[in-house]
Amino acid sequence: MDAVAAPAVGYVVRKAQRDFDEVKVPLLGVMGAFVFAAQMINFPVGVGTSGHLVGGALLACTLGPAAAAVVMCAILAIQALVFQDGGILALGANVFNMAIAGVLVGYLPYHLWGRGRGRRAAIFAGGALSLLTSAVLALSELLISGVRMPGPVLGLSLVLFVVSALVEGAITVAVVVALERIQPNVMRAPAPGRSPALAALALAAILLAAGGALFASTAPDGIEQLAIRTGIASHARALIASPLKDYQATWLGSGWPAQAAAGLAGLGLVFGACLLIGRKR
Amino acid sequence: MHHVTLDTWSRGASALHRRDPRAKVAALIVFLVVLGTAQRDLAWLGAVLFAFLLAGLRWAKLPLRAALARAGVVLPFTAMFAAVSWLAGDPARGAALVMKSYLSALAVLLLVSTTPLPLLLRGLEMTGTPRFLLMVAQFLYRYLFVISEEAQHMRIAAAARGATVGGLTGNGARFRAAAGALAVLFARSYGRAELIHRAMLARGFPGYFRPLIAPRFSRTDTLFAGICGASPIVMRIIIESVA
Repeated sequence: MDAVAAPAVGYVVRKAQRDFDEVKVPLLGVMGAFVFAAQMINFPVGVGTSGHLVGGALLACTLGPAAAAVVMCAILAIQALVFQDGGILALGANVFNMAIAGVLVGYLPYHLWGRGRGRRAAIFAGGALSLLTSAVLALSELLISGVRMPGPVLGLSLVLFVVSALVEGAITVAVVVALERIQPNVMRAPAPGRSPALAALALAAILLAAGGALFASTAPDGIEQLAIRTGIASHARALIASPLKDYQATWLGSGWPAQAAAGLAGLGLVFGACLLIGRKR
Repeated sequence: MHHVTLDTWSRGASALHRRDPRAKVAALIVFLVVLGTAQRDLAWLGAVLFAFLLAGLRWAKLPLRAALARAGVVLPFTAMFAAVSWLAGDPARGAALVMKSYLSALAVLLLVSTTPLPLLLRGLEMTGTPRFLLMVAQFLYRYLFVISEEAQHMRIAAAARGATVGGLTGNGARFRAAAGALAVLFARSYGRAELIHRAMLARGFPGYFRPLIAPRFSRTDTLFAGICGASPIVMRIIIESVA
């Protein structure tokens, strides 16, 4: 998992660096701060609950996928370091789930259909898919690391994922629509040439997610997943649009060998892996 | 904001504060590996590692109780899962879960509260982490408070306009209003970034941050990294061979 994440981070960092050069560093940093701050603005969802923007897809559509992935990496790192949120042992997994897979999958629909009539639908799909992919990846990582969960609980969490994914999609579209009204050319038009590497990466992420879902649906019974359910129940308010918060904790807690290895590799991610790529420049 | 305390703490003057960030990062990594891969005798290991971190906190002259409470921020998430596995008849797993997440948070806290973030990132850069990513992280941290404050203002303003009164408008309208607020925040942040960049150019920004003091990896740092890196390993070996 993290073996996939490491080169991906490297690729993304280099791509963003090529696209943006150091000129855009303040932009990416400030937009990262924006995503942080955006959590303060609540969106009414249903009765008495509220959600907030996660932002992967929005950033991908405005800054480009590579830059968005870098921003999300930076957000996750700051969150783990300064806010003791998400946990340092889960950093690698989170980076892969949210910053790499989430952003790329969120950008894919916009990349493919972002120019034509289905633009809004594409943005919606991007937001929803981005969140869904991250969540399902987190879930399948849990399963791979040895957590067993009962079928109904699993089903319930998948349903909750879908709901929060739809909310994220709706929020993303609403923000984009409002944004275009005040600043018409802020959206980044999808590049006309299709980058095969990007498509391949995104496809791989989708396949992984689908595989995870399949794996999840055939998983045997267990107790651990109850944790997720209670987590969701008591966090329903804050969580609607950010189930990952809890997953970070769950993932952190799943103290099995595979998890340990992943946590290790996760630490190596920010250092070691990027180290190689950083050297090349 | 509450996390400014970390900034204050990180500017202390203890011997631990003076160590090179790279040495501290290396020690932290070893600690996390030892903690994360531990499977047996977790109670003993946890107690010993906790004592180790406590010693570190004392050495750094950090306010003990406040630091312990801060690291507890991570607990609400894990405690929930721990409670469930406890109820489901696996208290050991629950306890291990809480212990690991708390100790890892405390260890990270010890690093971050003895190293100012710019210095920490600089240390990471010197070990080869891509500068681009680190600069983004640094800008993020620097403007986090600015933008958050702006979001806070917008939220208060929205509440003052009656956005939180349930019966006044439909959910749809409130949803759109929130989206509008976010869009404004987005546009402002974007504009602010452009201004920042222009100001940086005007001041002759060379493309990287110039550190005021270049950290130097002294012999004391090597010693520190060696001792603090070896201690958790030795502790675990002793505990696992005794038990």
